[in-house]
Amino acid sequence: MLGDIITPDLFASALRMATPLALAAIGGTICERAGVVNIALEGIMLTGAFFGTAMVLLTGSPWLGVIAAVASGAGISAVHAFASINLRSNQVISGTAINLLALGLTGFLMELWYGHPGTTDPIKVLRPIFNFESPGGGAIAEAWRWFDSIVFSHTPIVYLTILIAIVAQVAIHRTKWGLRLRALGEHPRAVDTVGVSVYRGRWVAVLMSGALAGLAGANLTIEQVGSFTENMTNGRGFIALAANIFGRWTPVGSYLASLLFGFADALQIKLQILRGVVSIPPQLFLMLPYLLTVIVLAGVIGRAVAPAAVGEPYEKG
Amino acid sequence: MNEKREQSVLVQRSWMVAAQKIGAPLISAALAVVVGSFIIWASGYDPRAAFIALWEGSFGSPKAIGDTLLKATPLILTGLAVAYGFRAGLFNIGAEGQLFLGGLAATWLGLSLAGLPWFLLIPLMLLASMLAGAAWAFVPAILKARIGAHEVITTMMFTYIGRYLVSYLVIGPLKAPGQIPQTAELPGAGQLSRIQALFSEATLASFEFLKLGRGHLGIVVAVIAAVLVWFVLKHTTLGYENRAVGFNPWASQTAGISVQSTTVKALCISGGLAGLAGSTEVMGVHHRLFDQFSSGFGFTGIAVALLAKNHPIGVIPAALLFGALAAGAGRMQFQADVPQKIVLIIQALVIFFVAAEEIVLWLIRRRQKEAVSHAG
Repeated sequence: MLGDIITPDLFASALRMATPLALAAIGGTICERAGVVNIALEGIMLTGAFFGTAMVLLTGSPWLGVIAAVASGAGISAVHAFASINLRSNQVISGTAINLLALGLTGFLMELWYGHPGTTDPIKVLRPIFNFESPGGGAIAEAWRWFDSIVFSHTPIVYLTILIAIVAQVAIHRTKWGLRLRALGEHPRAVDTVGVSVYRGRWVAVLMSGALAGLAGANLTIEQVGSFTENMTNGRGFIALAANIFGRWTPVGSYLASLLFGFADALQIKLQILRGVVSIPPQLFLMLPYLLTVIVLAGVIGRAVAPAAVGEPYEKG
Repeated sequence: MNEKREQSVLVQRSWMVAAQKIGAPLISAALAVVVGSFIIWASGYDPRAAFIALWEGSFGSPKAIGDTLLKATPLILTGLAVAYGFRAGLFNIGAEGQLFLGGLAATWLGLSLAGLPWFLLIPLMLLASMLAGAAWAFVPAILKARIGAHEVITTMMFTYIGRYLVSYLVIGPLKAPGQIPQTAELPGAGQLSRIQALFSEATLASFEFLKLGRGHLGIVVAVIAAVLVWFVLKHTTLGYENRAVGFNPWASQTAGISVQSTTVKALCISGGLAGLAGSTEVMGVHHRLFDQFSSGFGFTGIAVALLAKNHPIGVIPAALLFGALAAGAGRMQFQADVPQKIVLIIQALVIFFVAAEEIVLWLIRRRQKEAVSHAG
């Protein structure tokens, strides 16, 4: 029974499940490092998922779908940027508006374009990059099966996400751009004083986070599910926010935290095969990632310190 | 002479402040409707037909008004819940989950205590729903007060957990015999009666406007709750502390108010109000519990609270507006073919314009300043 649960696929699946969370969490990291709270990740992800799917349905090309998802994510996050940076709205409230807007807009367009609510037709998905032949029997073949499944079984965005986490980590901590970004979130006045535009820096950060959350949506639909369903993000944007905090506002930390949540999700799915054996209701497993999020947040806060100026609108002096 | 002028300026200013308070939300709502109409038009539908259908479905007949009241009832309560939290500087985004738990507690108690007379059963069920809602907010509240865990994430997570819990219970332990995953029907003594059921046939025949269809007495519960919350906020120490912490936690702490305990109280009271919305839904509308008994009332409550500027009495008209949108949406889809989801978009736009209204206020204030300086 344990052998049915702990399989190479469990770990491979954890990596897959972690991907949309990690992309959104890294987006959240970049945004919050610049001093803007992005509670809209959930809605941006949903927007990307929808427009990505719509583009694939229109053109038949998954890669054009990915581009559409990224572009639409950045597009809807521009609304958040305009409201929270230029209009100095409350960032949490502006984010809530975007979440609702995304829910309404995707549902509305779904009915307008496809004539029905619910789920779209299946789309052409991105396939795993590698496809190795498995060698014959024996222990080596078994080891190879594990390795192949965990390392080589994935679709492009899964690998891209790992790359993004590393590049973002270096960019934030080792470059001039990153220094400025962090200063925007800690002491925007200082950035302004040396003649760098706070508004522009924050705009770039919010758009980047939108693009990443849009890419997360593309991963959900164009790589994992293969269709769009209304409200399919199901709280992932909020879990991503928690992953960002657990990862202490660093991209690699966000990625690792997302792996934990991804593992919980993968485990939850695997555990459902136990249903035949022990009568545990599936809903209790479905709660697992959400419960874990609360537990992790409860354990980590106090030791993790948010950027000092996060959530505060900046008024030009 | 000078004094007189100063006085008139003051009068003018207080008028302007009042106009600002009421006018700004009205402008936000109007802007949202304009943009919403534009979206309807740009999508190839007829906005005029859409709004006629929306009007007919929400205020066009006594029955339609009853539907609006029906939808406004949970929205008043979730709106109050969110507003009470905001007044303490807390964002209870998880009212939906607390509503689910409230509905669950009321149903469970109503089914367990079947046989009690209504004047005992109904208050007990309402109370149970408030306690359950408050309990569901308690963990996020403690986490917020003790270690600063952001209530937006924790209450949201508890919403998912609560929904899965209810989903499990109505499929499992609380399921009534039959194919459909739902509980048994509440006893009559545990149901909130329809408003029109209070009047005799003869009265209804002569007073058509009382034929409020599905509108039920939950609206009375909701309005009483609004008045009570207003009273608590305005005239009690509890409410004063709530507002003080919301206004400036550091100053409140210095002044001897415990921010931690105020935070816990605020989120639990907020949760209790949201829980009450769950029981009125169950007791007044569905008379049983099932998976999808709330259509996002907890989330719409956020829009209600913001539009009301977190004022408990203002929550009532704001909830009526969103209740009307929800009640008329079905007819709009049916009659003018416009997808109901447009209502969600309009809600989002309302929130957005309320949040972005600073720019409008800033313009108004600048004008006022000019007016005052000219007058002086």
